[in-house]
Amino acid sequence: MSKKSVWSVKLSTASLVLIPAAVGVNYIGKLFAQLLKLPLWLDSIGTVLASMLAGPIIGALAGLINNIIYGFMDPVSFVYGITSVAIGVVVGLMARIGFLENWVKAGIIAFAVIFTSTVVSTPINIIFWEGQTGNIWGDAVYAGVLNITNTVWLASFLDELIVDLPDKILTVLIAYGIYRGLPKNLLQLYRADSEIEELK
Amino acid sequence: MKKILVEHLKYRYPQAAELALNDISFEAEEGEKIGVIGRNGAGKSTLCQALTGLVPHFYKGAYGGRVIVDGTEVLSSSISEIVLKVGIVFQNPFTQVTGAKETVYDEVAFGLENLGLPRGEISSRVDAALELLRIYRFKDQAPFSLSGGQTQRMAIAGIIAMRPRIIVLDEPTSQLDPQGSEEVYQALDDLSDQGLTIVLTEHKIEKIAQYCDKILVLQDGRSVAFDTPARLFSAEDSDAWGIRPPVYTSVCRKLLRPPTGVYPVTLSEAGEALANWEAST
Amino acid sequence: MKQLTLYVDKQSFVHAVDPITKLFYVAFAILTSMLVPTAYAGVICALLSLSLLCLAKVIKNASPVFLFIGFVLFTVVVIQGLFGVNNQTEAFRLSGLIFYREGLITGAKIILRVVNIVSAFLILTLTTKASDLVEDLVRAGLSPRIGYVITSVFQIIPQMISSADIIMDAQRSRGMETEGGLMVRMKAFIPLIGPVVLDSFMSTKERAMALEARAFSAPNKKTFLRERPAYTYAAKLRGAFVVLTLAALIWRLAA
Repeated sequence: MSKKSVWSVKLSTASLVLIPAAVGVNYIGKLFAQLLKLPLWLDSIGTVLASMLAGPIIGALAGLINNIIYGFMDPVSFVYGITSVAIGVVVGLMARIGFLENWVKAGIIAFAVIFTSTVVSTPINIIFWEGQTGNIWGDAVYAGVLNITNTVWLASFLDELIVDLPDKILTVLIAYGIYRGLPKNLLQLYRADSEIEELK
Repeated sequence: MKKILVEHLKYRYPQAAELALNDISFEAEEGEKIGVIGRNGAGKSTLCQALTGLVPHFYKGAYGGRVIVDGTEVLSSSISEIVLKVGIVFQNPFTQVTGAKETVYDEVAFGLENLGLPRGEISSRVDAALELLRIYRFKDQAPFSLSGGQTQRMAIAGIIAMRPRIIVLDEPTSQLDPQGSEEVYQALDDLSDQGLTIVLTEHKIEKIAQYCDKILVLQDGRSVAFDTPARLFSAEDSDAWGIRPPVYTSVCRKLLRPPTGVYPVTLSEAGEALANWEAST
Repeated sequence: MKQLTLYVDKQSFVHAVDPITKLFYVAFAILTSMLVPTAYAGVICALLSLSLLCLAKVIKNASPVFLFIGFVLFTVVVIQGLFGVNNQTEAFRLSGLIFYREGLITGAKIILRVVNIVSAFLILTLTTKASDLVEDLVRAGLSPRIGYVITSVFQIIPQMISSADIIMDAQRSRGMETEGGLMVRMKAFIPLIGPVVLDSFMSTKERAMALEARAFSAPNKKTFLRERPAYTYAAKLRGAFVVLTLAALIWRLAA
């Protein structure tokens, strides 16, 4: 596959309407996780699925718009928009270069997402909260590591990682499971390279 | 001039093996009401979308033949040009709500804003469309607060406000309760009185037989018949298309042998024919 | 229907300011408090934002947000006070735990920073209708297609919440357990989220076609159905915010 098609921008109506669906699914995921009292966010299933379907640009937009909308309810969310955008881009790119073929490759996407999310969120956590995440388990790790090593970035990195690891694995695998369940003709709508052929 | 002209239309969805539409030809005069019937997967929705340019412009895929609606060739025009000639209404009333507008009035105006019409023109068109679809009294309500039948009429109003001369309705009542269906059929009568050319797909065969001037039967993407309801359902081979004739026709077929060979297709026709039959025996 | 934004419909001079000028204020308040190299700037900006919230009669509506971040901030102060990197000087002891002065100061700085950012944004979100903000941004040059996407989310999410409620009830009546051990609750998540995701993604195709049928992709300039009231002091205020932010930048560079 050529480099051009990986980055191809196709803000078609079909791909744009994925964004409200993605943001809605993110929201409902978070809602159900809270209802079931799960120790996870599960609030990016929609962004990940939209990126799988329509690539990095739509993925990035879905992430950005998601956090802008959340920001209207909780202003802190605005700043974490960068993380959402990064997740959308990484999933979208990997989807376009063939990482949606099987569950093993989807697992690799999950680890790429964990890595991205941790690397991007840690500096934000440090700027904002001196490195904490606000998650009880993560912050317990943070306190422990900080006490032993006295290094904020390491404590913060591990804090974020411990929160992201189970959350993002589940998020990506759930999104991938649903992706596999979607009908072929829906997936076809987001291919940027198709043209009208002539039939005799 | 023909309002709709379809010639040897062929279409295959991207990545699909089979043709979804295979050599379809038919035409419609101004003001005619054309019904399209066939089993699931026969190509009814695809044909509806081909009349409005969604096939091929939205889906891409492989296309042959030509479709001309109100003088505009579909293949060489963009969807936003075609929607000025022909409007389309879908099954699910709620997916047709744009979700970007806070009132029914603004929702109906959405298409006109997109077309860039002047404000005065928009307000007179929206008022007229709301009146015609009998939803004027809801104009300040939230779009998602309406019932199914009301929402479907709002969707039709949004299309009608763009003033197309042809309207295509793809199973507009299949997700509505009987009350909602009745409302939509009443709306169709009002549209018909305005002289619009109507294309309608519908599972309820009795409805389509009563309502349409002509019926196009699709089977596996091919057109197997195109005729008036009476002649169509009187034909001996109509059962082979996988279409059940209207219940009135079936009853009369058992009882009557009309000299014309044409059986009744609606309740009132059947009533009349049976009354005559009773009188003659 | 559940309202998704924090917007409070009231009359005040803050409500009357146009959305884009409020965006300028948010940028000014946040940047200035970060640029000016004394803590007083942060205090002044935070007090300014908080008093604007009071004057707009929305401070009550702001309190749940402050309560929520207050909890996180509390843990930050505790952890920094106990384990902060620069901790040296003992401040006080609480049931055997030693809190340090340096960590507590770091905690206080974080509180100031967060309160500043949050209260600046709250002025925007509590006194501005999201659809007005989007419409003004579209008038100022944002793509109307992106504008549509943002506005539609505010209506589509409440729709999805009500269908999520229906699914929740349906699955419960089928005997799905939503309480119990962690594994039980984890297992319940997928049959809940699955139908919501499938339903909403599958319906995007018809929604996209319905939008196309309403000339969504027409290349011409769109009409705005209504005039937006022009805010008299928009240009002056925006100019003032830019000048003040630049002054803060110069102060920072000079210091």
